[in-house]
Amino acid sequence: MGLTALLARVATGAPVPVFAVAGPGTRSLIRDLRLRPEIRLVDTPRPASVLLVGGLVPAEMEMAVARVHDAMAHPRATVLWSAGAAGLGRPEGFDDAIPVDGDPVAACVAAYRDILVGRRGSEPPILPDVDPAPWRGVGPYGQGGSGMTGGVPYGRPMAELGPDPDGLRLDVLPVAVGPLFPRFPAGLVVDARLAGDLVLEVEVANLLANATAAAPSPEADPFLRALGERVAIADLELARARAHLRSVAEALLAAGLEALALRALRIAANLRAGDGALVRRLATIISATQVLRWSLRGVGAVPPEAVAGLGAGPVARASGLREDLRLEDPAYRDLGFAPLVDAGGDAAARLRLRLGEAVQSLDLAARAGARAATATGRVETPRGRLEAESSASERLFTVLPSLLREHEWGDVVATIVSLDLDLEEGPLARGRARPEAAA
Amino acid sequence: MVALGPLAVSFAVFVAGFAVVLASWWLGGRPRSPAQTAPERVPFGGGADPRVHAWNRYHVRYYSMALIFLAFDMEMVFMYPWAVVFVREGLIAMVEMGMFITILLLGVLYAWRERALEWA
Repeated sequence: MGLTALLARVATGAPVPVFAVAGPGTRSLIRDLRLRPEIRLVDTPRPASVLLVGGLVPAEMEMAVARVHDAMAHPRATVLWSAGAAGLGRPEGFDDAIPVDGDPVAACVAAYRDILVGRRGSEPPILPDVDPAPWRGVGPYGQGGSGMTGGVPYGRPMAELGPDPDGLRLDVLPVAVGPLFPRFPAGLVVDARLAGDLVLEVEVANLLANATAAAPSPEADPFLRALGERVAIADLELARARAHLRSVAEALLAAGLEALALRALRIAANLRAGDGALVRRLATIISATQVLRWSLRGVGAVPPEAVAGLGAGPVARASGLREDLRLEDPAYRDLGFAPLVDAGGDAAARLRLRLGEAVQSLDLAARAGARAATATGRVETPRGRLEAESSASERLFTVLPSLLREHEWGDVVATIVSLDLDLEEGPLARGRARPEAAA
Repeated sequence: MVALGPLAVSFAVFVAGFAVVLASWWLGGRPRSPAQTAPERVPFGGGADPRVHAWNRYHVRYYSMALIFLAFDMEMVFMYPWAVVFVREGLIAMVEMGMFITILLLGVLYAWRERALEWA
């Protein structure tokens, strides 16, 4: 065996660097893959060797998936995962991709081994090798333009001048981020106009708005079931605590606290109604983490009047609003339920509130017995009020630009993470209401 | 080796470094260009395509901090040699240092007006 082959064989033992794309319905399944030691979820496609696409990617996002695919270094492979009933999409150009129904991790590991030892060729690029505009050889130095800001260097025009909050006239850089930015929910595109790191103006787009989606399994989401039938409070509250812990894990990841994030995810994955003490201990560690306190205090302030009446769930309650559909449910009243409210209104308050609600939900789940929530066609999910036609995150979308404008980019990311937007909830609820549309 | 002097040691390090480069070349084949096609060269923006080139002129907000650093740094650079000759030169040195500090103080006052001393 040659030395190269020997080294390749040794390299196959390392965790597989995977860039994951969560199609509608596969969000929490993909996020939980972080707990698997065989793979390492990476934040950009460059260090990834395997692209994992979960579920049916809507047509609006196919181009982005192709771009991410082409940005991966060779050798590379793609695994398309159907994630149960979420469905298997084969975006255009992914003819060599490996379809898998069962465990995606085993498929990623196998694909990684095959491309490293040469049993499988590296996937060719999907998009054509053309720059957005011709630039080679153009201009006095062949850089695509003339002067400091003329022409199209490397195929793209330069940023244009615009007013700056300090009264200067400097470049305003339009930058779109998403829909596959790992810190944002899949499908969210933030189109910002930046002056340095300050976001002057921002537009947001939801590429999942018109997606049709089926939940990976009907049991997976008790909140979707609760739209139309009576579901045990114990199931709902356990799912709520789990969702809150996953959201906390995302916030910790965004703050760079990966070990704590993994701890939160691990608690969420094995959560039982008696785990209140575990979650409380996690909350103590998090509240004692000074880095997090500094980075979140005062960030992403949501004034109560901005979200009043939107049914924004924890976001509204962390801004001092006493909005919770569970208040109207006699079964919850019977349990002595009273919503937690925090007047802070910033990202730190939302993190605090979610941890508090996780503990409260576990307590409710433990005491609920056989009680079932009343089915009213609307349900309070971990994100807020879900109806058959709209979700809390979709309604929050209308006020999102006003929350992000004139903040620094880092704070914009922290704000979006702290809002815990879930853009697949709406399509899943609509898919449930009209099964023929999702099929 | 050391007996041959520092030049020989540097030469040995150079030769060893070159050998490592040659060895890795031989082991890994010719180094390939890290990006081969246009979509591969695009910076990652979560799947979005950048519309403009990333070169841009923006306000360097730490300039006032840099100003304060320079003011105190220059002060120190001049003060050490000044302290050595101060006793010998007497009043002249005192006046010269006074002028120098006044000029630097103007910079600090300007930075103060630009709110460089307001933390957070």
